[in-house]
Amino acid sequence: MIFAGLPFAQLLAVFGAVGFGVLVLYILKLRRRVVAVPFSPLWERILRDKEATSLFSKLKRLLSLLLQLALLAALVLALGDPRRAESLIKGRTFVVLVDASASMQATDESPSRLAVAKDGVQTLIQGLGGSDRMLIAQMDAMVTPLGPLTGDASTLKDELKGVHATDSRADFPRALRFASDVLRGVDRGEIIVVSDGELGDASDASGPVHLGSAKLSYLEVGHSDRNVGVTQFSVRRYPLDKSRYEVMLELTNTGSTVEDVELQLLGDDALVDITKLRLQPHERLPRFYPQLSGASRTLEAKIARVDGTHDDLAADDHAYALLPERRRAKVLVVSAGNTYLEAALLLDEYLDVTDVAPAGYPDALKKGTWDAVVFDGATPPEMPKAHALYLDPRGPGSPVKVTDELKQPGFDKVERKHPVVRFLALDDVNVALGHKLVPETGDKVLGASDGGASPLLVAGTRGGYRFVAAGFDVRDSDLPLRTAWPLFIINCINWFTDEDTQYLSSFRTGEVWRIPVAAGVTAATVKLPDGTVQPVPVHEGRAVMLGEHAGFYELTAGDQRTEFAANLLDVSESTIAARDALPVDGRSAEGQSVARVSTPMIGLPNEPAWMWLLFLVAALTALEWATYHRRMTV
Amino acid sequence: MGLLDVLPWRRDKKAVSAADDDLFDDKFQRKLEYLALVSRRVFAGRLRAERRTKKSGSGVEFADHRDYQPGDDFRYLDWNVYQRFEKLLVRLYEEEEDLAIYFILDTSASMAFGDARKLRYAKKVCAALAYVGLANLDRVTMVTTSDRVMERMPETRGKARIFKAFRFLREVKAEGTTDLGDAMKTFVAQNKRRGLAVLVSDLYDPRGFEKGINVLRYNKFDPFVVHITDPGEGKPKLNGDVLVYDCETGDEREVTVTAKVLSLFGEAYAAYLADIDRFCATHQVPYVTASVDVAFDELILRVFRRGGFLR
Repeated sequence: MIFAGLPFAQLLAVFGAVGFGVLVLYILKLRRRVVAVPFSPLWERILRDKEATSLFSKLKRLLSLLLQLALLAALVLALGDPRRAESLIKGRTFVVLVDASASMQATDESPSRLAVAKDGVQTLIQGLGGSDRMLIAQMDAMVTPLGPLTGDASTLKDELKGVHATDSRADFPRALRFASDVLRGVDRGEIIVVSDGELGDASDASGPVHLGSAKLSYLEVGHSDRNVGVTQFSVRRYPLDKSRYEVMLELTNTGSTVEDVELQLLGDDALVDITKLRLQPHERLPRFYPQLSGASRTLEAKIARVDGTHDDLAADDHAYALLPERRRAKVLVVSAGNTYLEAALLLDEYLDVTDVAPAGYPDALKKGTWDAVVFDGATPPEMPKAHALYLDPRGPGSPVKVTDELKQPGFDKVERKHPVVRFLALDDVNVALGHKLVPETGDKVLGASDGGASPLLVAGTRGGYRFVAAGFDVRDSDLPLRTAWPLFIINCINWFTDEDTQYLSSFRTGEVWRIPVAAGVTAATVKLPDGTVQPVPVHEGRAVMLGEHAGFYELTAGDQRTEFAANLLDVSESTIAARDALPVDGRSAEGQSVARVSTPMIGLPNEPAWMWLLFLVAALTALEWATYHRRMTV
Repeated sequence: MGLLDVLPWRRDKKAVSAADDDLFDDKFQRKLEYLALVSRRVFAGRLRAERRTKKSGSGVEFADHRDYQPGDDFRYLDWNVYQRFEKLLVRLYEEEEDLAIYFILDTSASMAFGDARKLRYAKKVCAALAYVGLANLDRVTMVTTSDRVMERMPETRGKARIFKAFRFLREVKAEGTTDLGDAMKTFVAQNKRRGLAVLVSDLYDPRGFEKGINVLRYNKFDPFVVHITDPGEGKPKLNGDVLVYDCETGDEREVTVTAKVLSLFGEAYAAYLADIDRFCATHQVPYVTASVDVAFDELILRVFRRGGFLR
């Protein structure tokens, strides 16, 4: 024990001086009010009994003196600001990682796991020593420090209020790296993870996380494992019949008991399908709904227990999806005649195809607006103001420069991630004669011969319009005889019209979303599922935001409005069983229930002792007041 | 009015003095007339100055027999008894004489305690009873006492002498300690003629209230106790640590007054009053409690009803 305030010698002096004063005042007889009475023997009568207890009265008066001296001692001690020696000499540094992932919304703890976790952290704050510092960080898909390292309890408590749950998974390795970075070079550093423990491995692409000398503690939250969640949910329209769609979803029972659930599928808020399912413990149950119709835009999967109750985690009981917008595309085909092309275009009934000869192209172009133009062996002098597919382009009007003739080229290299050629088998396509295309900066080579040296298939953008150029006449190849041919054509049309077959029916929460916006738009706003609107930055033609909550979003960028959905869809977050230990960096932090956390866990109460001493003074004063006025100490 | 008279305490003093001057005003005297009338109505049929005393003598009403003693007047021998029992007995008769009434007013300092309500009240009571006595042609004497006999208004009779009594009472001041025993001893020594002794006192006698009454009893006076009480004295408005001192003796005592202590004091005060009542009842001494909160004329009527003052 040392005194951070007045030194001990001074405290003794103060106590001695004031104590002497108190003693003198005590010894000095209390000057009483003099009152005349007509007949004092009457008073004698009642005081006779009191005199019998005069010794007791003296003792009571002594108690009064002791109370006053105790009060004085507490005040003098408060002046000294006593603290434990080690709390002043060596402060500790804590980084508290509060798990705010979806599983922390579980209600097996009342009112929620996150609330209980926050209560536990509050207790930790109260237990901080005088020289201890703490940093609180919210751990979800990101790691968000809520303030600087500080020992100020009120600041930490205010920061703690800012922790909120998200519908995302916790990025544990990132959080650990952040914490270890904060504690690098710090003596007596400690990382305290407040979580249900379902955080995955403490390693990422950079390898396992090393904590160095920092100590790791784990405060465990949660006790139940009963939960059934939607862990996969995807929907897509059929490419050739866009009025119909298919849904794939997966339910997972992460608990250890059999669960009977009711699965509802809602299309545009109307019930499309309802199924009762029984899931065995830890069973993953995929469901496939082909040939569905009836919904034009939104789709929602919802599960509930058969008995009408909800499981412990509601965040994964819903999944949302948006169907790709359905519209008929107008396609102009400029060709002298190509049966293969016509046949391929006939496959998609949502295409409105107009065939013209190359000579009629200028007139046809003037007559209307086209979603796509297919040039088959004909290359106009300048590019149309529409997306265009060039088959065997020639001349100056070609979007890419056409150079050397290639004999029997092949698709040695294919850009399989591009939507135009994704899932197409082009490797063994035989081409008799082709020409090498020279892409410009920003163009994408989708297929190339000679080990990638001679581009044959190029995609890009000119004047804001997309194009795909194939450096060969398809009739000089066996491509039209293959399944890839019609798919290639339809992929091109879909890419032009933004109808990607890999259309994402929903985003995944906890990831950074990049939503394309119109060219030239620099600012956008997004309406969140809860109805709030917030601005989002636009970077390289995409609105960039971190999705934290599941539901339907609406992005407004200029005149363009884009709707999209977001889902949790994470088995690890749906697994709400709390883990007993947290293995990190070759060590294992044993879980300690957050409900049993107490201030001594990390040290002395943070409130300096002088505060408690003042409380004691107040209590003693109240006691003195009460005993005096009740005549117990007089 | 002098300059100092505008000061509040000076005004109060004058007001108190004025109150003493007005003690026996016209209104008071009219009440006395009324009380005298009431007394006559209550005791109608009695002759004036016909109060029978215990003194046997030359009256006409037979009182008792006693053995003949040599020297007795033969005329009072009861020959009928001698004839029947052969025993010489003298016949005794109640002597009829006008009554001597003594008003013994306690003027110790305790009677002036507070705003001297008790003393003023006692003066009024004395004046009223004296008027009734004078109106009945009784011989009225007034004395004031503390630890001795202080002042004396000589024996007087006749209604017109009431103003003498007023003057005497106006001059009375309360001072000194109470010792009724000694004072009564002096009183009986000074007054050989026995009669009704009306003791008007608060009976705050540290040596015991009984002594004074007993002295009167033992000396064949007819004591009549009018106990002047102030209910406020039973419920003092005290709180906290006080040093109480006796206004007569100056005895000091440290007291921490609490609600409990006040309650105990109330009980002690009530017990004291009960002791006096019990004593008087036991010894057949007429006793009237005169609370200063009760109108004095109502008290006088109560005295009449109680009996013992007029027979």
